[in-house]
Amino acid sequence: MSAELSAGPTDNPGEFANVLELRMSGDPAAIAAVTDTISDKLAQLHVPEDKRMEIVLALQEALANAVVHGCKNDSAKEVGVRLECYSSGRILITVTDPGQGFQPEGLSDPNRPENLHSNSGRGVYLIRQLMDEVSFENDGSQIRMWKY
Amino acid sequence: MDINVRKRSQVQLIQLRGQLRLGEPVDQLTRALDELLAEGDTRFVINLAEVPMIDSSGIGLLVRFLASAKRKGGSLKLVNPSSFAQKTLRMVGVLNLFEVFEDDDQAVESFT
Repeated sequence: MSAELSAGPTDNPGEFANVLELRMSGDPAAIAAVTDTISDKLAQLHVPEDKRMEIVLALQEALANAVVHGCKNDSAKEVGVRLECYSSGRILITVTDPGQGFQPEGLSDPNRPENLHSNSGRGVYLIRQLMDEVSFENDGSQIRMWKY
Repeated sequence: MDINVRKRSQVQLIQLRGQLRLGEPVDQLTRALDELLAEGDTRFVINLAEVPMIDSSGIGLLVRFLASAKRKGGSLKLVNPSSFAQKTLRMVGVLNLFEVFEDDDQAVESFT
């Protein structure tokens, strides 16, 4: 994992952001170091524990999708992660993978009775529940997740 | 993730410590449960008190082994999930699939 830290003004006048950029290999074993680093950074910035856990679980799910679907578990491929913590308290996490993307609107609701016993299909739903605003860019190969 | 397995009254009591998430933790627990099922065990109690977080792959694992145990006449029951783990299981609608107990004794006795 590689990391780069910066801080400075943002596009919004009067607002400053702490920015942390990470890159990790497309290997499930690499996910924990990234989520731990982001969790530590959020703790340093005094983000409350409840909010921090929700963000970290959403990040875990986004990274799992990026590694499993975007990188096909190929450790030669890379996933990018960008954390922006604004002075207003808003937090944005962007995860970018090298894959072909996907159609998020095609995902079914895991709470439907026919899906309750499924082994998979809950990740994006969880992200949407845990975060306040979620969007997919670049045909789904990039996810932007806001927590207010 | 630390996994401690011990048998009490024909029930496999599994104590977990750490995050149950994609990668080694889920792989490790999958191997442990597969081995127990292959040896004929069908009654499982998983203590989640020291599991602060479960991701969707961990949830998928619990649901899959609940179904496997039930198919063989047993079950998989949960003990004392942490508040965030419980919230996550509820969020995706699977908390009600499991019997949840406050301590190991209650969960083990529920099989008799």
